[in-house]
Amino acid sequence: MTAPPDDPAVALGPDAAFAANVRDGRLWLQHCTACGAYIFYPRVLCPRCGATDLTWLPASGRGTIHSRAVLHRRQTPGSDRPPQHAIVLIDLEEGPRLMSRLPGIAPEDIRIGAPVRARIEIAEAGPVILFDRAETAA
Amino acid sequence: MSAGLRGGASIVGVGTAGLGEAPGFTAMDIQALAVRAALDDAGLALHEIDGLFCANMSHTFPALTTLEYLGLAPRWIDGTNVGGSSFLVHALSATMALQAGLCDVALICYGATQRTGAGRMVPAAEQPLYEVPHGPRYPMIAYALAAARHMADYGTTRAQLAEVAVAARRWAALNPDAFERAPLTVEEVLASRMVMEPLTLRDCCLLTDGAGAVILTRPDRARDTAKPGIHLLGGGAASFNRAVSEMPDLTATAAVESGRAAYAMAGLGPADMDLLQLYDAFTINVILFLEDLGFCKKGEGGAFAEAARIGPGGGLPVNTNGGGLSFCHPGMYGIFTLIEATRQLRGEAGERQVAGADTALCHGNGGTLSHQATVILGTDAAL
Repeated sequence: MTAPPDDPAVALGPDAAFAANVRDGRLWLQHCTACGAYIFYPRVLCPRCGATDLTWLPASGRGTIHSRAVLHRRQTPGSDRPPQHAIVLIDLEEGPRLMSRLPGIAPEDIRIGAPVRARIEIAEAGPVILFDRAETAA
Repeated sequence: MSAGLRGGASIVGVGTAGLGEAPGFTAMDIQALAVRAALDDAGLALHEIDGLFCANMSHTFPALTTLEYLGLAPRWIDGTNVGGSSFLVHALSATMALQAGLCDVALICYGATQRTGAGRMVPAAEQPLYEVPHGPRYPMIAYALAAARHMADYGTTRAQLAEVAVAARRWAALNPDAFERAPLTVEEVLASRMVMEPLTLRDCCLLTDGAGAVILTRPDRARDTAKPGIHLLGGGAASFNRAVSEMPDLTATAAVESGRAAYAMAGLGPADMDLLQLYDAFTINVILFLEDLGFCKKGEGGAFAEAARIGPGGGLPVNTNGGGLSFCHPGMYGIFTLIEATRQLRGEAGERQVAGADTALCHGNGGTLSHQATVILGTDAAL
């Protein structure tokens, strides 16, 4: 167990705090005040240096496609699920990598190395971080 | 790295059971049959086992269920579970336990009936919180992401991946115990159903039942057993992550570290290995491990496989039983690397025997490219 935080405004565990931000439309990452690392997934200590003094900072939302895989589903009668389901790993500009999807891009058009931009979608199961194609940096 | 465990234990018995399909039998049933076969192989009695090392995906307390089923009361138990590489870790920890006097006869065992039981690959019950909402299919998502990145970085092709599956099938054709033995071509692998792009069905391991058992003693005791001992020369293990999204480099596994530790302990290098048993859950694994364990440069694993170096008649025998791709894959394949290496080093491998083999490198992969463990085995001549 972690020590209860003194500040009632941060009296949430790291997962709950991340989720609360996302629900309010903010993609914020933990930032280690000791070593400067950005951290995802949310934790109570910095996996790079071990410090527990972490603050939440806004992420730019800019990232790059690190890799992609496409699940090819066997079609069953009556199923309305798309036959292909693309999953990507995204390198965020701040450093962390996360798994996500690019619903606006056809699976065959997803290119490793391409720039993307984060958005928050409120899905049935809760809010998720998704990505869209970004304009190539000039 | 300590060389203190080099030669510290010898494999004196190996056994398998329920390979392929074992309808009507439980995982514990076929595991016990494999243990019985290993005891007979070693010329030891059941109750001489006083150290137990096991892991599986079906039981919460695999070691406790196993000792109860077998009627054992071991003095030492290690239930370390790091996925399919667990059994190679067990070989190293069994060596430590034997050397420390915590036990005298160590049993490593595993059994699963995913084919006739669950009818599907059973993934771990708990999966990474921030991956699950995106609908990945485990474990193959990790291997597909690694393969795609390897292709992007190094120009590795699907045909090169397919060569790994074809080499495995050519070995399996020589192994009467293998589940899939029919001829397989690169074209057939490429044309098989796409499962998780860039991996087709034939890039993926089998889903079978199967059980394996390995018995180790200290080398002095191994002189009294039925067959000459096969000695542990080196071992190492490494892990950086559980989730694939946390893997520092998708194209370089922790096998770099586990291999380095194993080579250092053995006082041997890649060029000294007569044959390899690499956990081939997917074709990309073999390419990654050939690179990470020093058999070719990073990025050249695809070309290495393509040059047919790893199949029967090639320069470097890899997965001589047919591997997880064609021999058997009950979910956690690692123990079969130790069993096949032992049979090869004893000269018992029949049609697929590698002539004059004195050293073998066994490599296990756990989770979703999460944990890597390497064990180097050798004959008396290699001690």
